Amino acid sequence: MSTRTPQPNGAVARSLAQVGACGLFLLTLLAAIPRSFRHGRETIRQVWFVGAMSLTIIMVCGLFVGMVLMLQLYHVLSIFGGTSASGMVVALSVYRELGPVVTALLFAGRAGTSITAEIGLMRATDQIDAMEMMAVDPVAYVATPRFLAGLIAMPLLCCVFSAMAVFGGHLVGVTWLGIDNGTFWSNMTAVVDVHTDIVNGILLKSLAFGAVVSLIAVFQGFTTPPTSEGVAYATTRTVVASSIAILALDFVLTAFLM
Amino acid sequence: MSQQRSSYAVGAGLFIVLGFAALAYLATQTSSVANARQGDSYVVDTQFTNIGQLKERAPVKIAGVRVGQVQSITLTPGHDVADVKLSIDRHYDHIPQDSVATVFTSGLLGDQYVGIQYGSAKDVLADGGTLARTKSSQPLEEMLGKFFGAGGVVDNVGGSYTVKAGFTNVGTLSAGAPVKMAGVVIGSVQSVVADPVKLNAEVVLSIDKRFDAIPDDSAAAVFTSGLIGSQYVAIQPGGSPDVLKDGDEMILTQSAMQLEDLIGKFLVSGSDKKDAGDGK
Repeated sequence: MSTRTPQPNGAVARSLAQVGACGLFLLTLLAAIPRSFRHGRETIRQVWFVGAMSLTIIMVCGLFVGMVLMLQLYHVLSIFGGTSASGMVVALSVYRELGPVVTALLFAGRAGTSITAEIGLMRATDQIDAMEMMAVDPVAYVATPRFLAGLIAMPLLCCVFSAMAVFGGHLVGVTWLGIDNGTFWSNMTAVVDVHTDIVNGILLKSLAFGAVVSLIAVFQGFTTPPTSEGVAYATTRTVVASSIAILALDFVLTAFLM
Repeated sequence: MSQQRSSYAVGAGLFIVLGFAALAYLATQTSSVANARQGDSYVVDTQFTNIGQLKERAPVKIAGVRVGQVQSITLTPGHDVADVKLSIDRHYDHIPQDSVATVFTSGLLGDQYVGIQYGSAKDVLADGGTLARTKSSQPLEEMLGKFFGAGGVVDNVGGSYTVKAGFTNVGTLSAGAPVKMAGVVIGSVQSVVADPVKLNAEVVLSIDKRFDAIPDDSAAAVFTSGLIGSQYVAIQPGGSPDVLKDGDEMILTQSAMQLEDLIGKFLVSGSDKKDAGDGK
């Protein structure tokens, strides 16, 4: 795509050009959605690849995040005699912040990199050009299914992550540190709100992060310089750009949704 | 090929089902929806002069057990009392009409809830009935309010004089802590040393010269600003015609600890939400 267009000089101009090209690429992706319905099976395969295959890392990380959060909170709150509130704080911080953000960072590392590398290699080995020759739209067949899969998989992964984190918090808090089981759940249910915490926190944020991460991954793959070094660079850029975008977007979204 | 295709389709399907199951679990088991599940209920009207931080859907409890929730909180224009409707489970329909509804706080920093203490009347509350006897929020806040209001250290513009006071326990009082009268800073603690003979703590207070009419039978007490604030010396004026002079010793002192004892009570009773009203 843009690899053959002349590159502007200067780091700032180049990054701006990247952002602009990424935005234009998003429009191409969205325009290709109706055409990509023909490749529904490919979308399902990508959901399996970026979603189901990421389950292990998401579940294990969620469990440990919940466990360590509970451990830390217990020690701080015991100073004030407020350990009974720790379950509630674990739930709130996971639903509102840690769940979407950590899931998105893991998703960028686990799924985003492989999307970039795969598409990048396709471009380096001229498979993308071959598709165009065969009158198969590479955006509708390669890019959009991966983008949609990220959009579908991220909120679901985030739900699994959050549930595992609550389970981990319960494991450490109730089973190990001896917080009362009833207090743990009743404090949590008293404060967690479906709209502000679960819909706005988990679902909306992770949907936005899923869109951003998969957009960046697909875009980097499509604009990879067709060399092995180019693929390596593109993969690195996917992780770096995704992480920055996730954390910056998280601040903006939190400010809006609060 | 078709074998492989069906395996990833099954995997993707399983993943989506698992994701939605996790979402359903989070939404129904860990959120306020879990509390909304309620059987048949009836509504009781109450009025409070101050509801504090009470919110809709806050629990209604009898003997610490949840029996319902706050249905609505409204303020009628022209009235200075809040109308609170309580939705109580039909299961608990033998509440005497002269029972008392009180706004309590769970623990020190917890949310507020409505507690109902049984009266002794034979008649029971019916749907749409009114709990006329209510106690408003704030016992804890008002009590703590006494301890709040610690300001900065005084500026010794007009020079100062020193008086001594012996305490059996100064808590964490240290040199430089403020000395207050009626909540206003009038001086600072100059030194805190243990007396080797009397075996108590001798505190030297440096008080601004402007405040030279403090009766010599005034009491000095060690208080804490707020909950986790620093400690200070409060002077409670007495009624003697003679005034404190430089180098005098204050006889009447009250040591630290009463706030800690108090908080101890609240923390212990707050953790099981049973007797949060004890401090009244």
